Amino acid sequence: MRTPSRGARAAVLGLALFACNDGLHPVPAPTTCPQSFTGICGHVTFQGAVPDSTQAVYVVAYHTFPRSRDSLFTFQPSLILLQKLPLDSTRAFYAVPLMSGRYEWVVAVWVKQGFTLANADSTLREAGSYRNPADTTLPGVVNVYTQGTDSIDFVVDFAHMHPPCRYYNPPCP
Amino acid sequence: MVAALLGVPAVAGAQNTGLVYGTVRDTAGRPVPAQVLLVGGRAAAYAAANGGYRLVVPAGDVLVRAAFIQYAPVQTIVHVAAGDSVSHDFVLTPSIGWLSQDVFELGPVITTAAKRSQLLDLAVTSIALVTDSEIARRAINTIDEAVGKAPAVQFLNGQVNIRGSSGYVQGLGSRVLLLVDGVPMNQGDRGGIDWDVIPVDQVQRVEIVKGAGSVLYGSAALGGVVNLITRGLPTGFHARLRTTAGFYANPPNDVWRFRDFTGGEGGADVAASYGTAALRGAFAAGARHSDGYRQQDRDDHWQLAGKGEWLAAPNLRVRLSGAWANDDNQTALRWCVQGACDTRGQSYQPFMTDTADLGARTTSGKGFIAGAVERTVSDQLTWTGRASWSRTHFQDLFPTGSDYAIADLFGGELRAVATPTPDQVVTVGGEAALSNVTSDFFGVHTQGEYAAYGESERRHGALRFTVGARADFLTVDGGGMTAVVSPRAGVVIPSGVGTWRLSAGRGFRAPSIAERFVTTVVDGFPVIPNPNLSPEVAWSFEVGHARPIGQWLHADAALFWTEAQHLIEPNIDTVQGQIQFRNLQRARWAGLDLALRARPFSDRLATSAAYTFLYARELATDSTPERALGFRPRHLLTLSVDYALGPAALGADFRYSSRMDRVEIFESEPRIAAKVLDLRAQYGRGPLAAHLLVANALNYIYSLVPRTLEPVRTVTLTLVYSY
Repeated sequence: MRTPSRGARAAVLGLALFACNDGLHPVPAPTTCPQSFTGICGHVTFQGAVPDSTQAVYVVAYHTFPRSRDSLFTFQPSLILLQKLPLDSTRAFYAVPLMSGRYEWVVAVWVKQGFTLANADSTLREAGSYRNPADTTLPGVVNVYTQGTDSIDFVVDFAHMHPPCRYYNPPCP
Repeated sequence: MVAALLGVPAVAGAQNTGLVYGTVRDTAGRPVPAQVLLVGGRAAAYAAANGGYRLVVPAGDVLVRAAFIQYAPVQTIVHVAAGDSVSHDFVLTPSIGWLSQDVFELGPVITTAAKRSQLLDLAVTSIALVTDSEIARRAINTIDEAVGKAPAVQFLNGQVNIRGSSGYVQGLGSRVLLLVDGVPMNQGDRGGIDWDVIPVDQVQRVEIVKGAGSVLYGSAALGGVVNLITRGLPTGFHARLRTTAGFYANPPNDVWRFRDFTGGEGGADVAASYGTAALRGAFAAGARHSDGYRQQDRDDHWQLAGKGEWLAAPNLRVRLSGAWANDDNQTALRWCVQGACDTRGQSYQPFMTDTADLGARTTSGKGFIAGAVERTVSDQLTWTGRASWSRTHFQDLFPTGSDYAIADLFGGELRAVATPTPDQVVTVGGEAALSNVTSDFFGVHTQGEYAAYGESERRHGALRFTVGARADFLTVDGGGMTAVVSPRAGVVIPSGVGTWRLSAGRGFRAPSIAERFVTTVVDGFPVIPNPNLSPEVAWSFEVGHARPIGQWLHADAALFWTEAQHLIEPNIDTVQGQIQFRNLQRARWAGLDLALRARPFSDRLATSAAYTFLYARELATDSTPERALGFRPRHLLTLSVDYALGPAALGADFRYSSRMDRVEIFESEPRIAAKVLDLRAQYGRGPLAAHLLVANALNYIYSLVPRTLEPVRTVTLTLVYSY
């Protein structure tokens, strides 16, 4: 029988320490931008009743205000990063990952059940957007740096939603 | 007495040696290129093509053994005086039990790397083996659980990666080819792999060929080949009953609890075989149920498998095999985050699924029938013909709808292995495969792959050079032929105590029918077809060395480098608002693949370590800068230890996978390293054996693919009765 060397015993001890359990743990829902996060965060306040036909509500951002159907899907983040807003309370925190840059329009998009690209004009609605704090009649411009841009708060009003073509040039009839 | 003889070589001085020489032939007098070795020592040699061998051994009484695949091994005691030489000729008898453990332990013989039998250390590319004893002691339900412990192999939510080849595309388009006894088994529609197509109990061993293997195997062998070799058929009556029962750990935190009971699993398999000298057959059946370790994870599975063999003549063998497996499982999609379920004030609930997905389930089936004829025409020529039909079908049942696909894959191959001169082996063949797919979201399509290939191994002194190429012609719906040529060259250089190997080869993967023609809607956004997809291609380079170090350590190290082009990825068109598979990526992955096996403190103790360093980059294009290639961990470490004490044995596996540098979905979410410890124990007495497995013993909660929880601690007891 060969005797385990000091090095072998140290390796076993090191392995045991290395294997200590530090996996995933519960993480309370954030209320501010997480550390090491690039994007925008804030709270949306819900007004009006959530329609029964709701599929989801997402917060998205446009570098340039979309003035045509062709630019409707130029939003950030990409489709696979979209996160539904929780609709089970009157106020919800969101954190949307975005690349650094300037965003002219931060908007909550209501999606109706049965949405497809073909019926987007009838199944998508602008449900609220971030407003310019100095002039709330104008969209608020948001600059994203390498850290999260916080407090991009706005109201989602299910009673006053608008089809996307309202903002097209020319607008829909 | 044998033990005493075994001790002789150990005390003999290195300069106090003699020579044993002679020939190895079969009962018909034909030379056999067998391995001849000193039992209990390190001396070994291979008989030449004319059957001749020379073996330097310590002086005294030594035990010398000769063995080769398809023959029963023979050993004899030879007395050699110091400085003298002794002649001994071996005669090997053909044996049906050519895959028995006895032969295998002598020196692994593999069949996958060159599409013919060869010794492991004569392969030009790296090979990893998983033996039936390794499979048995892990007490697993599907073979991927054992394959995933092999050096440089990692599974990402069911998708196999060899040296980081595949990444993760939700099971679509595997860059690894699965074979069952040499028959291709990747799905005909999606190009993915069903790892439970064969009952795990029927697998004798697994050969994993790393790097591009398209020179012999064509599409999908871009990153490697996994060959499941089923059990041989012995003579007489044999039966085997295997039962399994176990349970899953509950979530370690109350806020993650999702059910008020402890989930369990269980199943049973029965197998029987009967064989005479000329005719043998085996049949297996089994079923299992699992509650799953997370919400929406239940699975009911049953399977059948059969195999028959007719030895029509000493030089003619006919085989027929088949299997079918069926699953009815709930579909556990991604875990839920805020807005998708009641997260109880948490950012995410890893054990729970999106409320909208509750009730989703999938029914699926997969199976095959394959037949093969093997004939030895002469000393210089053998040929093999095979035909196969494999089928997969599935139906997804969602709360809001359903989809389905049925895929039939017909394949055939004719292959000849010739030895035109004593120093040369040539393998040539032709292969055809045709996929027929009927689906409500892939459409109705056919895809054909027709190929011719050849590879030659030639010996020059101690060196063995291999050169080969394969031409594949791909058709879709009967037209649009695309040609792909996959060459490979390599050399094996035996050195004093080890072997060097160098190889360069080109691999490719044809787009699957799913990638070409999928038409569906994801979250309201259309996924549109792209019939003009081109094959992915990659060049792989490897330099490897295998050698013993000291008396109880064996090392195998390889440096590898792969340059890939036209990799197929889903592309999101933000202008059109649609998704389409396109040939987008250029990528490079390179690194070190190191495997060590040792018996360091006692012969009762067996240990192994495998480490892979992977540097994987997505190369710059017009639209994206160079960046880390998604879903590739930089470090992958596997440690195993087994201690045997009479009929009992204890063992453990530890797997570390470093945090992914980059993932392609939910990139902003936290990623962690994986550290998984499996413990096992087994006890055998007579025909009974019991195996206890505690998988993920530390109950490490982690994900490799974002929002996809990996298995929690699972305790499984398996009882096996063999007759």
